[in-house]
Amino acid sequence: MLEIHVVQRDNRHLYEHYFDPYFQLRHDIYVKQRKWMALDRPDGREIDQFDTEDAVYLFCLDDEKLIGAMRAVPTLSPTLMSDIFPYLSLRGPICRPDVYELSRVFVIPERRGEHAGPRVEMLLLTAITEYGISIGLNGFSIVLEAWWLPRFERCGWKAHPLGLPQMMDNMSVLAVLVDCDEATWKSLCRQIGRTSPILTWRGLSGLNRQLLPDISLPHSPAVQPAQ
Amino acid sequence: MTESEPYWGRRALDFVDAIEASKTTASVISQFEKMIGELGFHAYIMAGIPMPGQSLEELTIANGWPAQWFETYNRENLHEVDPVPRHCFNTLNPFEWKHVPYDRERDRAAHRVMMRARDFGLRQGFCIPIHYDDAVGAISIAGERPYLDAETKGALHLMGIFTHGRLRALSRSAIASPNRRLSDMEAEVLRWAARGKTAWETGQILAISERNVRWHIEEAQRKLMTNNKTATVATAIVNREILI
Repeated sequence: MLEIHVVQRDNRHLYEHYFDPYFQLRHDIYVKQRKWMALDRPDGREIDQFDTEDAVYLFCLDDEKLIGAMRAVPTLSPTLMSDIFPYLSLRGPICRPDVYELSRVFVIPERRGEHAGPRVEMLLLTAITEYGISIGLNGFSIVLEAWWLPRFERCGWKAHPLGLPQMMDNMSVLAVLVDCDEATWKSLCRQIGRTSPILTWRGLSGLNRQLLPDISLPHSPAVQPAQ
Repeated sequence: MTESEPYWGRRALDFVDAIEASKTTASVISQFEKMIGELGFHAYIMAGIPMPGQSLEELTIANGWPAQWFETYNRENLHEVDPVPRHCFNTLNPFEWKHVPYDRERDRAAHRVMMRARDFGLRQGFCIPIHYDDAVGAISIAGERPYLDAETKGALHLMGIFTHGRLRALSRSAIASPNRRLSDMEAEVLRWAARGKTAWETGQILAISERNVRWHIEEAQRKLMTNNKTATVATAIVNREILI
Protein backbone atom coordinates (compact mmCIF):
# COMPACT_ATOMS: atom_id res chain seq x y z
CA MET A 1 0.00 0.00 0.00
CA LEU A 2 1.54 3.27 -1.15
CA GLU A 3 1.33 6.21 1.20
CA ILE A 4 2.81 9.68 0.96
CA HIS A 5 3.60 11.25 4.31
CA VAL A 6 4.18 14.91 5.12
CA VAL A 7 7.20 15.18 7.40
CA GLN A 8 8.25 18.47 8.90
CA ARG A 9 9.50 20.01 12.13
CA ASP A 10 6.36 19.26 14.18
CA ASN A 11 6.17 15.54 13.40
CA ARG A 12 9.74 14.69 12.47
CA HIS A 13 10.19 12.72 15.73
CA LEU A 14 7.66 10.18 14.40
CA TYR A 15 9.82 9.56 11.30
CA GLU A 16 13.32 9.78 12.80
CA HIS A 17 14.12 6.18 11.80
CA TYR A 18 13.51 7.03 8.12
CA PHE A 19 16.04 9.84 7.95
CA ASP A 20 19.18 7.73 7.95
CA PRO A 21 18.04 5.52 5.03
CA TYR A 22 16.68 8.67 3.36
CA PHE A 23 20.04 10.47 3.37
CA GLN A 24 21.77 7.27 2.23
CA LEU A 25 19.35 6.93 -0.68
CA ARG A 26 20.08 10.50 -1.66
CA HIS A 27 23.81 9.70 -1.62
CA ASP A 28 23.26 6.59 -3.76
CA ILE A 29 21.18 8.47 -6.29
CA TYR A 30 22.83 11.89 -6.52
CA VAL A 31 26.47 11.03 -5.84
CA LYS A 32 26.89 7.41 -6.97
CA GLN A 33 24.44 7.34 -9.88
CA ARG A 34 24.21 10.90 -11.10
CA LYS A 35 27.79 11.78 -10.13
CA TRP A 36 27.05 15.13 -8.56
CA MET A 37 30.41 14.87 -6.85
CA ALA A 38 30.14 18.23 -5.10
CA LEU A 39 27.60 16.54 -2.82
CA ASP A 40 29.91 13.68 -1.86
CA ARG A 41 30.47 13.09 1.84
CA PRO A 42 32.65 10.46 3.49
CA ASP A 43 29.80 9.14 5.65
CA GLY A 44 27.76 8.10 2.58
CA ARG A 45 24.92 10.44 3.44
CA GLU A 46 23.90 13.32 1.26
CA ILE A 47 22.84 16.16 3.54
CA ASP A 48 23.15 19.82 2.57
CA GLN A 49 22.61 23.28 4.02
CA PHE A 50 18.94 23.24 3.02
CA ASP A 51 18.06 20.29 5.24
CA THR A 52 17.02 22.65 7.98
CA GLU A 53 14.15 22.81 10.45
CA ASP A 54 12.17 24.71 7.81
CA ALA A 55 12.41 21.90 5.26
CA VAL A 56 9.31 19.85 4.50
CA TYR A 57 9.69 16.30 3.17
CA LEU A 58 7.27 14.10 1.35
CA PHE A 59 8.14 10.45 1.98
CA CYS A 60 6.60 7.91 -0.34
CA LEU A 61 6.31 4.68 1.64
CA ASP A 62 5.36 1.27 0.35
CA ASP A 63 4.71 -1.04 3.28
CA GLU A 64 6.92 1.17 5.42
CA LYS A 65 9.77 1.11 2.87
CA LEU A 66 10.95 4.46 1.52
CA ILE A 67 10.69 4.33 -2.28
CA GLY A 68 10.66 8.01 -3.22
CA ALA A 69 10.84 11.47 -1.74
CA MET A 70 10.82 15.18 -2.37
CA ARG A 71 11.99 18.18 -0.37
CA ALA A 72 10.29 21.59 -0.17
CA VAL A 73 11.93 24.66 1.35
CA PRO A 74 10.22 28.04 1.90
CA THR A 75 11.67 30.61 -0.49
CA LEU A 76 11.80 33.16 2.35
CA SER A 77 14.67 30.96 3.62
CA PRO A 78 17.88 30.35 1.65
CA THR A 79 17.30 28.08 -1.37
CA LEU A 80 19.36 26.41 -4.07
CA MET A 81 18.29 29.15 -6.43
CA SER A 82 19.19 32.03 -4.09
CA ASP A 83 22.47 30.62 -2.75
CA ILE A 84 23.92 28.30 -5.40
CA PHE A 85 22.36 29.06 -8.79
CA PRO A 86 21.33 32.75 -8.67
CA TYR A 87 22.49 33.18 -12.30
CA LEU A 88 19.76 30.77 -13.45
CA SER A 89 17.11 33.39 -12.74
CA LEU A 90 17.25 36.46 -14.96
CA ARG A 91 14.23 37.80 -13.15
CA GLY A 92 15.89 37.90 -9.76
CA PRO A 93 15.58 35.46 -6.87
CA ILE A 94 12.20 34.06 -5.89
CA CYS A 95 11.50 35.10 -2.32
CA ARG A 96 7.78 34.80 -1.65
CA PRO A 97 5.71 33.51 1.26
CA ASP A 98 3.44 31.62 -1.17
CA VAL A 99 6.24 29.80 -3.02
CA TYR A 100 8.37 26.86 -1.83
CA GLU A 101 11.38 25.51 -3.68
CA LEU A 102 11.34 21.81 -4.58
CA SER A 103 14.52 19.75 -4.71
CA ARG A 104 15.85 16.19 -4.38
CA VAL A 105 12.86 14.70 -6.16
CA PHE A 106 13.58 11.03 -6.68
CA VAL A 107 12.14 7.56 -6.97
CA ILE A 108 14.37 4.56 -6.24
CA PRO A 109 15.55 2.96 -9.53
CA GLU A 110 13.55 -0.27 -9.17
CA ARG A 111 10.30 1.70 -8.87
CA ARG A 112 10.78 4.11 -11.78
CA GLY A 113 8.54 4.05 -14.81
CA GLU A 114 6.27 1.32 -13.50
CA HIS A 115 3.41 0.38 -15.71
CA ALA A 116 1.26 -1.27 -13.06
CA GLY A 117 -0.72 1.49 -11.41
CA PRO A 118 0.12 5.16 -11.42
CA ARG A 119 3.77 6.04 -11.62
CA VAL A 120 5.42 7.00 -8.37
CA GLU A 121 6.73 10.17 -10.06
CA MET A 122 3.17 11.23 -10.86
CA LEU A 123 2.05 10.41 -7.33
CA LEU A 124 4.75 12.67 -5.93
CA LEU A 125 3.81 15.57 -8.22
CA THR A 126 0.16 15.14 -7.29
CA ALA A 127 1.04 14.93 -3.60
CA ILE A 128 3.15 18.09 -3.53
CA THR A 129 0.37 19.98 -5.31
CA GLU A 130 -2.08 18.77 -2.66
CA TYR A 131 0.38 19.90 0.00
CA GLY A 132 0.73 23.31 -1.63
CA ILE A 133 -3.02 23.89 -1.83
CA SER A 134 -3.43 22.70 1.76
CA ILE A 135 -1.01 25.27 3.16
CA GLY A 136 -1.99 28.07 0.75
CA LEU A 137 0.90 28.09 -1.72
CA ASN A 138 0.57 29.48 -5.24
CA GLY A 139 3.70 28.06 -6.77
CA PHE A 140 6.91 26.07 -6.56
CA SER A 141 10.30 27.14 -7.78
CA ILE A 142 12.56 24.37 -9.07
CA VAL A 143 16.07 24.12 -10.50
CA LEU A 144 15.79 21.13 -12.79
CA GLU A 145 17.10 19.37 -15.85
CA ALA A 146 15.41 20.70 -18.96
CA TRP A 147 14.19 17.29 -20.17
CA TRP A 148 11.59 17.35 -17.39
CA LEU A 149 9.68 20.19 -19.06
CA PRO A 150 7.83 18.23 -21.77
CA ARG A 151 6.78 15.75 -19.07
CA PHE A 152 5.45 18.57 -16.91
CA GLU A 153 3.59 19.95 -19.91
CA ARG A 154 2.14 16.55 -20.66
CA CYS A 155 0.75 16.03 -17.17
CA GLY A 156 -0.52 19.61 -16.88
CA TRP A 157 2.07 21.06 -14.53
CA LYS A 158 2.39 24.62 -15.80
CA ALA A 159 6.01 25.80 -15.70
CA HIS A 160 7.24 29.36 -16.30
CA PRO A 161 10.95 29.75 -17.07
CA LEU A 162 13.00 32.17 -14.98
CA GLY A 163 16.15 32.10 -17.10
CA LEU A 164 18.01 30.27 -19.84
CA PRO A 165 19.06 26.64 -19.60
CA GLN A 166 22.79 26.27 -18.93
CA MET A 167 25.05 23.27 -19.30
CA MET A 168 26.23 21.87 -15.94
CA ASP A 169 28.00 18.54 -15.62
CA ASN A 170 26.86 17.78 -19.16
CA MET A 171 23.17 18.34 -18.34
CA SER A 172 21.06 21.26 -19.46
CA VAL A 173 19.65 22.84 -16.28
CA LEU A 174 17.26 25.74 -15.75
CA ALA A 175 15.09 27.44 -13.12
CA VAL A 176 11.31 27.49 -13.36
CA LEU A 177 8.29 28.56 -11.37
CA VAL A 178 5.42 26.05 -11.45
CA ASP A 179 1.81 26.99 -10.73
CA CYS A 180 0.17 25.39 -7.73
CA ASP A 181 -3.60 25.62 -7.98
CA GLU A 182 -6.78 23.58 -7.65
CA ALA A 183 -7.19 23.05 -11.39
CA THR A 184 -3.72 21.51 -11.63
CA TRP A 185 -4.37 19.23 -8.68
CA LYS A 186 -7.73 18.08 -10.06
CA SER A 187 -6.17 17.38 -13.43
CA LEU A 188 -3.34 15.37 -11.87
CA CYS A 189 -5.79 13.36 -9.74
CA ARG A 190 -7.86 12.63 -12.82
CA GLN A 191 -4.83 11.38 -14.71
CA ILE A 192 -3.78 8.98 -11.99
CA GLY A 193 -7.36 7.98 -11.29
CA ARG A 194 -7.61 9.29 -7.72
CA THR A 195 -10.88 10.40 -6.23
CA SER A 196 -9.56 11.24 -2.77
CA PRO A 197 -6.57 13.13 -1.34
CA ILE A 198 -3.31 11.26 -1.08
CA LEU A 199 -1.37 12.78 1.81
CA THR A 200 -0.96 11.38 5.30
CA TRP A 201 -0.58 14.13 7.92
CA ARG A 202 0.37 12.02 10.93
CA GLY A 203 1.04 14.10 14.03
CA LEU A 204 0.15 17.33 12.25
CA SER A 205 -3.41 17.83 13.46
CA GLY A 206 -2.38 21.21 14.89
CA LEU A 207 -1.58 22.49 11.39
CA ASN A 208 -4.05 24.93 9.90
CA ARG A 209 -5.00 23.45 6.54
CA GLN A 210 -7.06 24.86 3.72
CA LEU A 211 -9.98 22.85 2.42
CA LEU A 212 -9.31 20.83 -0.71
CA PRO A 213 -11.77 20.93 -3.62
CA ASP A 214 -14.03 17.92 -4.07
CA ILE A 215 -12.62 15.36 -6.49
CA SER A 216 -14.89 12.47 -5.59
CA LEU A 217 -16.98 12.72 -8.76
CA PRO A 218 -15.44 11.51 -11.97
CA HIS A 219 -15.08 14.23 -14.56
CA SER A 220 -16.73 14.17 -17.93
CA PRO A 221 -14.40 12.91 -20.60
CA ALA A 222 -14.85 16.11 -22.62
CA VAL A 223 -11.32 17.19 -21.85
CA GLN A 224 -9.10 14.35 -22.83
CA PRO A 225 -5.90 13.73 -20.93
CA ALA A 226 -2.67 14.78 -22.54
CA GLN A 227 -1.56 12.34 -25.18
CA MET B 1 27.11 31.69 -16.99
CA THR B 2 27.24 34.86 -19.04
CA GLU B 3 29.18 37.92 -17.95
CA SER B 4 27.50 40.37 -20.28
CA GLU B 5 23.87 41.42 -20.30
CA PRO B 6 21.95 38.33 -21.46
CA TYR B 7 20.03 40.03 -24.27
CA TRP B 8 18.74 36.82 -25.86
CA GLY B 9 17.92 35.41 -22.45
CA ARG B 10 15.51 38.25 -21.78
CA ARG B 11 14.14 38.11 -25.28
CA ALA B 12 13.50 34.38 -24.84
CA LEU B 13 11.66 34.91 -21.53
CA ASP B 14 9.50 37.64 -23.06
CA PHE B 15 8.84 35.35 -26.00
CA VAL B 16 7.60 32.58 -23.69
CA ASP B 17 5.30 35.05 -21.90
CA ALA B 18 3.90 36.16 -25.25
CA ILE B 19 3.18 32.69 -26.61
CA GLU B 20 1.64 31.58 -23.31
CA ALA B 21 -0.81 34.46 -23.75
CA SER B 22 -1.48 33.59 -27.40
CA LYS B 23 -4.69 31.76 -28.12
CA THR B 24 -4.09 30.32 -31.57
CA THR B 25 -1.50 28.01 -33.08
CA ALA B 26 -1.09 30.39 -36.02
CA SER B 27 -0.09 33.22 -33.70
CA VAL B 28 2.36 31.03 -31.76
CA ILE B 29 3.90 29.78 -35.01
CA SER B 30 4.31 33.23 -36.49
CA GLN B 31 6.00 34.55 -33.33
CA PHE B 32 8.33 31.56 -33.30
CA GLU B 33 9.25 32.02 -36.96
CA LYS B 34 9.95 35.71 -36.43
CA MET B 35 12.16 35.02 -33.42
CA ILE B 36 14.26 32.27 -34.98
CA GLY B 37 14.47 34.39 -38.13
CA GLU B 38 16.24 37.08 -36.12
CA LEU B 39 18.78 34.44 -35.12
CA GLY B 40 19.44 33.45 -38.72
CA PHE B 41 17.22 30.37 -38.97
CA HIS B 42 14.74 30.03 -41.81
CA ALA B 43 13.56 26.43 -41.39
CA TYR B 44 12.32 24.23 -38.58
CA ILE B 45 10.26 21.18 -37.79
CA MET B 46 8.63 19.92 -34.58
CA ALA B 47 7.64 16.28 -34.74
CA GLY B 48 7.65 12.91 -33.11
CA ILE B 49 10.37 10.61 -34.39
CA PRO B 50 8.65 7.88 -36.41
CA MET B 51 8.94 4.28 -35.26
CA PRO B 52 8.72 1.52 -37.87
CA GLY B 53 5.33 1.76 -39.57
CA GLN B 54 4.82 5.42 -38.73
CA SER B 55 5.32 8.33 -41.10
CA LEU B 56 6.87 11.64 -40.19
CA GLU B 57 3.90 13.46 -41.63
CA GLU B 58 1.45 11.99 -39.12
CA LEU B 59 3.71 12.92 -36.20
CA THR B 60 4.42 16.49 -37.27
CA ILE B 61 3.28 19.18 -34.84
CA ALA B 62 4.64 22.14 -36.77
CA ASN B 63 6.32 22.15 -40.15
CA GLY B 64 8.45 25.07 -41.20
CA TRP B 65 10.71 23.19 -43.57
CA PRO B 66 10.96 24.25 -47.20
CA ALA B 67 7.91 22.57 -48.78
CA GLN B 68 9.93 20.60 -51.27
CA TRP B 69 12.33 19.29 -48.65
CA PHE B 70 9.47 18.13 -46.44
CA GLU B 71 7.85 16.45 -49.40
CA THR B 72 11.08 14.73 -50.47
CA TYR B 73 11.90 13.74 -46.92
CA ASN B 74 8.49 12.12 -46.45
CA ARG B 75 8.34 10.47 -49.84
CA GLU B 76 11.73 8.85 -49.37
CA ASN B 77 11.29 8.21 -45.63
CA LEU B 78 14.60 9.93 -45.02
CA HIS B 79 14.04 9.85 -41.25
CA GLU B 80 15.13 6.21 -41.44
CA VAL B 81 18.67 7.21 -42.42
CA ASP B 82 18.94 10.79 -41.13
CA PRO B 83 21.52 10.77 -38.30
CA VAL B 84 19.90 13.78 -36.55
CA PRO B 85 16.66 12.14 -35.35
CA ARG B 86 18.61 8.96 -34.67
CA HIS B 87 20.91 10.84 -32.29
CA CYS B 88 17.89 12.08 -30.29
CA PHE B 89 17.54 8.59 -28.87
CA ASN B 90 21.06 8.87 -27.44
CA THR B 91 20.91 12.19 -25.67
CA LEU B 92 18.67 14.32 -23.46
CA ASN B 93 20.53 17.50 -24.40
CA PRO B 94 20.21 19.73 -27.47
CA PHE B 95 22.99 19.44 -30.04
CA GLU B 96 24.25 20.99 -33.24
CA TRP B 97 23.80 18.97 -36.40
CA LYS B 98 27.52 19.12 -37.06
CA HIS B 99 28.21 17.30 -33.80
CA VAL B 100 26.02 14.32 -34.66
CA PRO B 101 28.25 11.27 -34.85
CA TYR B 102 28.03 9.12 -37.95
CA ASP B 103 30.50 7.32 -40.13
CA ARG B 104 30.89 9.37 -43.30
CA GLU B 105 32.56 6.52 -45.15
CA ARG B 106 30.35 3.63 -44.15
CA ASP B 107 27.09 5.43 -43.56
CA ARG B 108 26.72 6.98 -46.99
CA ALA B 109 22.94 7.32 -46.68
CA ALA B 110 23.28 9.43 -43.54
CA HIS B 111 25.88 11.62 -45.18
CA ARG B 112 23.69 12.04 -48.25
CA VAL B 113 20.74 13.35 -46.18
CA MET B 114 22.95 15.94 -44.55
CA MET B 115 24.28 17.02 -47.96
CA ARG B 116 20.84 17.16 -49.58
CA ALA B 117 19.52 19.29 -46.72
CA ARG B 118 22.18 21.84 -47.68
CA ASP B 119 20.58 22.22 -51.09
CA PHE B 120 17.59 23.70 -49.29
CA GLY B 121 19.68 26.11 -47.27
CA LEU B 122 19.71 23.85 -44.21
CA ARG B 123 23.45 24.22 -43.78
CA GLN B 124 23.76 24.47 -40.01
CA GLY B 125 21.21 23.14 -37.60
CA PHE B 126 20.33 22.80 -33.95
CA CYS B 127 18.21 19.97 -32.60
CA ILE B 128 16.34 19.72 -29.29
CA PRO B 129 15.26 16.19 -28.34
CA ILE B 130 11.95 15.78 -26.49
CA HIS B 131 11.78 12.65 -24.35
CA TYR B 132 8.62 11.10 -22.99
CA ASP B 133 8.35 7.72 -21.31
CA ASP B 134 7.00 6.09 -24.43
CA ALA B 135 8.11 8.32 -27.29
CA VAL B 136 10.85 10.62 -28.51
CA GLY B 137 10.33 13.77 -30.51
CA ALA B 138 12.50 16.62 -31.71
CA ILE B 139 12.56 20.26 -32.61
CA SER B 140 15.08 20.81 -35.39
CA ILE B 141 15.98 24.31 -36.56
CA ALA B 142 18.28 25.21 -39.43
CA GLY B 143 19.65 28.02 -41.54
CA GLU B 144 22.53 29.11 -43.75
CA ARG B 145 24.67 30.89 -41.16
CA PRO B 146 22.67 31.10 -37.92
CA TYR B 147 23.92 32.36 -34.57
CA LEU B 148 24.99 29.39 -32.49
CA ASP B 149 26.88 30.76 -29.50
CA ALA B 150 26.14 29.42 -26.01
CA GLU B 151 23.56 32.07 -25.12
CA THR B 152 21.73 31.72 -28.43
CA LYS B 153 21.60 27.96 -28.01
CA GLY B 154 20.14 28.37 -24.52
CA ALA B 155 17.54 30.78 -25.90
CA LEU B 156 16.66 28.44 -28.77
CA HIS B 157 16.38 25.52 -26.38
CA LEU B 158 14.00 27.40 -24.11
CA MET B 159 11.89 28.85 -26.92
CA GLY B 160 11.75 25.51 -28.72
CA ILE B 161 10.53 23.56 -25.71
CA PHE B 162 7.92 26.13 -24.76
CA THR B 163 6.66 26.61 -28.31
CA HIS B 164 6.31 22.85 -28.66
CA GLY B 165 4.49 22.67 -25.32
CA ARG B 166 2.20 25.58 -26.14
CA LEU B 167 1.21 24.08 -29.50
CA ARG B 168 0.36 20.80 -27.81
CA ALA B 169 -1.66 22.54 -25.11
CA LEU B 170 -3.59 24.57 -27.69
CA SER B 171 -4.40 21.50 -29.74
CA ARG B 172 -5.72 19.78 -26.60
CA SER B 173 -7.94 22.67 -25.55
CA ALA B 174 -9.38 22.84 -29.05
CA ILE B 175 -10.60 19.27 -28.56
CA ALA B 176 -12.73 20.47 -25.68
CA SER B 177 -14.84 22.80 -27.82
CA PRO B 178 -16.61 20.64 -30.38
CA ASN B 179 -19.43 21.53 -32.77
CA ARG B 180 -17.67 24.44 -34.34
CA ARG B 181 -18.25 24.66 -38.07
CA LEU B 182 -15.33 24.32 -40.43
CA SER B 183 -14.05 27.54 -41.95
CA ASP B 184 -14.26 27.97 -45.72
CA MET B 185 -10.55 27.32 -46.07
CA GLU B 186 -10.65 24.20 -43.91
CA ALA B 187 -13.50 22.84 -46.00
CA GLU B 188 -11.61 23.69 -49.20
CA VAL B 189 -8.47 21.91 -48.04
CA LEU B 190 -10.49 18.83 -47.05
CA ARG B 191 -12.24 18.76 -50.44
CA TRP B 192 -8.83 18.49 -52.11
CA ALA B 193 -7.71 15.86 -49.60
CA ALA B 194 -10.86 13.89 -50.43
CA ARG B 195 -9.68 13.87 -54.05
CA GLY B 196 -6.40 12.36 -53.01
CA LYS B 197 -4.23 15.46 -53.02
CA THR B 198 -1.33 15.65 -50.62
CA ALA B 199 -0.87 18.72 -48.47
CA TRP B 200 1.90 19.83 -50.79
CA GLU B 201 -0.27 19.44 -53.88
CA THR B 202 -3.17 21.24 -52.23
CA GLY B 203 -0.78 24.04 -51.36
CA GLN B 204 0.22 24.33 -55.01
CA ILE B 205 -3.41 24.35 -56.14
CA LEU B 206 -4.57 26.95 -53.63
CA ALA B 207 -1.34 28.96 -53.78
CA ILE B 208 -0.76 28.69 -50.05
CA SER B 209 2.14 27.06 -48.25
CA GLU B 210 2.07 23.39 -47.49
CA ARG B 211 2.44 24.32 -43.86
CA ASN B 212 -0.74 26.32 -44.06
CA VAL B 213 -2.56 23.39 -45.62
CA ARG B 214 -1.45 21.15 -42.80
CA TRP B 215 -2.63 23.63 -40.21
CA HIS B 216 -6.06 23.86 -41.82
CA ILE B 217 -6.34 20.10 -41.83
CA GLU B 218 -5.26 19.89 -38.22
CA GLU B 219 -7.71 22.60 -37.27
CA ALA B 220 -10.49 20.68 -39.02
CA GLN B 221 -9.31 17.55 -37.25
CA ARG B 222 -9.70 19.21 -33.88
CA LYS B 223 -13.12 20.55 -34.67
CA LEU B 224 -14.33 17.17 -35.84
CA MET B 225 -12.50 15.36 -33.05
CA THR B 226 -10.85 12.89 -35.39
CA ASN B 227 -7.31 11.66 -35.23
CA ASN B 228 -6.02 11.55 -38.78
CA LYS B 229 -6.57 13.03 -42.19
CA THR B 230 -8.61 10.12 -43.55
CA ALA B 231 -11.01 10.13 -40.61
CA THR B 232 -11.30 13.91 -40.86
CA VAL B 233 -12.27 13.76 -44.51
CA ALA B 234 -14.72 10.91 -43.88
CA THR B 235 -16.36 12.71 -40.96
CA ALA B 236 -16.60 15.97 -42.90
CA ILE B 237 -18.40 14.15 -45.72
CA VAL B 238 -20.78 12.32 -43.37
CA ASN B 239 -21.57 15.58 -41.55
CA ARG B 240 -22.12 17.24 -44.91
CA GLU B 241 -19.49 19.83 -44.08
CA ILE B 242 -18.07 19.16 -47.51
CA LEU B 243 -19.62 17.78 -50.67
CA ILE B 244 -17.65 16.01 -53.37
